[in-house]
Amino acid sequence: MRSKSVFLALAALLALGMSWSDARAEVNWKQFQGTEIRVMMNKHPFTTYIEPKLAEFEQLTGIKVVMESFPEDQFRNKRTIELNSGGKLDGFMIMATQDDLYYWKAGWLLPLDDFVKDPALTDASWDQKDFFPLFMKANTIDGKLFGVVFNAETSLLSYRKDLFEQNKIKVPATMKEFEDAAKFFHGKEMDGKKMVGVTLRGKGAAATSQWSDFMFTFGGNWMEKGKSFLNSPQDIAAFKFYGDMLRNYGPEGATMLHWAESTQLFMEGKAAMIYDANVFKSLYENPKDSKVAGKVGYAVIPAGPAGSIPHLSNWSLCINKNAPAKQQKATWLFIQWATNKQNAVKALLAGVPAGRASAWDSPEYKAGDKNPDWTASVKKSYETGNPQWNPPVLNVPEIRDIVGQVIVDAIQGKDVKASADKAAELMNKKMELP
Amino acid sequence: MRRIAQALSDFIDRRQSWVFPAPAVIVLLLIVVFPIAFNLYLAFTKWTIGLGQPRFIGLDNFVDLLTDERVLNGTVVMIAFSGLSLALEMGLGLMIALYFNREFKGSEAVQAIYIFPFAATPVAVALIWRIMLNPEVGVLNYLLRLVGLPGSLWVSSEHTVILSLVMVDVWKWTPMITLIVLAGLKSLPHDPYEAARIDGANALQIFWHITLPMIRPVLIAALMLRSLDNLKEFDMIYTITQGGPGIASETLYLYSYTVGFQFFKAGYGSALMVVVFLIVLVFNVVMNRLRLAK
Repeated sequence: MRSKSVFLALAALLALGMSWSDARAEVNWKQFQGTEIRVMMNKHPFTTYIEPKLAEFEQLTGIKVVMESFPEDQFRNKRTIELNSGGKLDGFMIMATQDDLYYWKAGWLLPLDDFVKDPALTDASWDQKDFFPLFMKANTIDGKLFGVVFNAETSLLSYRKDLFEQNKIKVPATMKEFEDAAKFFHGKEMDGKKMVGVTLRGKGAAATSQWSDFMFTFGGNWMEKGKSFLNSPQDIAAFKFYGDMLRNYGPEGATMLHWAESTQLFMEGKAAMIYDANVFKSLYENPKDSKVAGKVGYAVIPAGPAGSIPHLSNWSLCINKNAPAKQQKATWLFIQWATNKQNAVKALLAGVPAGRASAWDSPEYKAGDKNPDWTASVKKSYETGNPQWNPPVLNVPEIRDIVGQVIVDAIQGKDVKASADKAAELMNKKMELP
Repeated sequence: MRRIAQALSDFIDRRQSWVFPAPAVIVLLLIVVFPIAFNLYLAFTKWTIGLGQPRFIGLDNFVDLLTDERVLNGTVVMIAFSGLSLALEMGLGLMIALYFNREFKGSEAVQAIYIFPFAATPVAVALIWRIMLNPEVGVLNYLLRLVGLPGSLWVSSEHTVILSLVMVDVWKWTPMITLIVLAGLKSLPHDPYEAARIDGANALQIFWHITLPMIRPVLIAALMLRSLDNLKEFDMIYTITQGGPGIASETLYLYSYTVGFQFFKAGYGSALMVVVFLIVLVFNVVMNRLRLAK
């Protein structure tokens, strides 16, 4: 009894605190008190951040959150199977532009627009306009919002600032300079280690996400006029460049490099440059596991014929369309809370790149920012990147395998044109359009 | 009331032969027969999980299989991997069993150490091999270079990936063949050997004309046991290469997993599983014939 009244007092205080920060009408956070919701998460830094905070949400709303998290492969399997079996799952995270077209077609994604517009369900302080527009767009199908971004990803060129300065090498601003820098460092002995010029993902389908940045930058695309564009001169140039860089200036056995192996090499101090996701800054800069902490500089992808266009991907939170109405609304309160301004800032400080502009501009973040070049590059990417980091088809994994094969062939020095022709033909045959 | 109990008791007494096994049979039906039957049904449907209900399409999946490049690739990879690894495991297993089938100092200790690979958890072993096979940081290339040899790309090259996986499989499973064959050797009668020696047969002749024919059923049994696992090898290949580079080590079995659980094409994936099942079945029927043949 006593603990309950303490809870209530705390909740009241919290509510009071919130109404101070925003004078406008506040939703009734207690309206679904007693409801229990089930949320399925990928093992992800955001999950690690939010899980210990669930008690806070439960105090605020009286909604109990049952959170389950799994490693990515199992997570994607389990999520699909559970959603297919109906409404037992209420909320889940999704990587937009990967599974969303499929899930939308399957009828598993609840459009959130009615909730967002409803002042009884959406607090004014949530402030939809604060989210980066490109990420909002990536979470929209047929003009309907289906998810709220909490982890905004792009890829960056990360390089050994110390070695670049010592050897007076310029930070690559063009693909030519990128290649020259890789060439310079490759095979040289530095700090007692034989360096590789650059490390990139090379493992087939796992490499297509970072390869897409090169595709966009070389002026290519996945499809044009409803047909595969994989064997266009632009895409072929991107395949060739990517494969050549890895074969000539990359680690041995690059066809088996996933992000874990690639980042490990960079953290061991064996690679002068790496092009991979911006979130990996937290790995590089962790002195416990990384030998290069404090020695890394960050830049946007070097410019190619079409400029400098990184891909943008994101994890967002969604609601199961087949869950009961009350659960859906309770889940919406959860999503709103999990993606609010305070959580965005704190998660960003914990290494989860926020999808909200306010988090990046907050005094807390700016005060603690040790890598302003990272922050500047990330923010620039969020304005200029391309969110279409996967082909716009229903069967993304199947088409990614096809694209991945060309990358593997390019790394092994095979005839890229022939491989791309074959891939384009296969893609045209296999792709399922929404 | 008592009459009912009596009747029930009589009923059970008269039909003991199926009343008592019934619970086990029902469980088996539910967990073995039903999934197989459902899989067979799905093989004749088009169904992507979530996109509508299974739709009967007759033999279309099997027609598609014939033109699917990854099926052809998977079959070739499966034959290459299984053919090589089974042949090496049988050959080496037999040779080592013959060697162990003698009294020598410390033979028990050697044999105990020798079965370690076979006793270890497959996925744990595969994870360690994956690191050892890494061309950049792995210990195998380090050792090769230590003795002045060039390193290999191992599983990172299309040309060496199958051989590397065969090497791991042989390392892990040869002890199992040895164990079975050794048990067979120990149970052989001594008389034919004595007779052969009196007649002046040399060691090779004894092996070829006496040992081999006598342990042939054991060899085939060992091959059948091993092939059951080997033809649908999954955990080791999946852990080390996931079928890569590209699809260079993707067996039919791995591809059916990809189709079912990455692409969520349950119909097509089931058809693939039916094909894998038939291959394993036919192989074992042929082997069983060989074993029983005089």
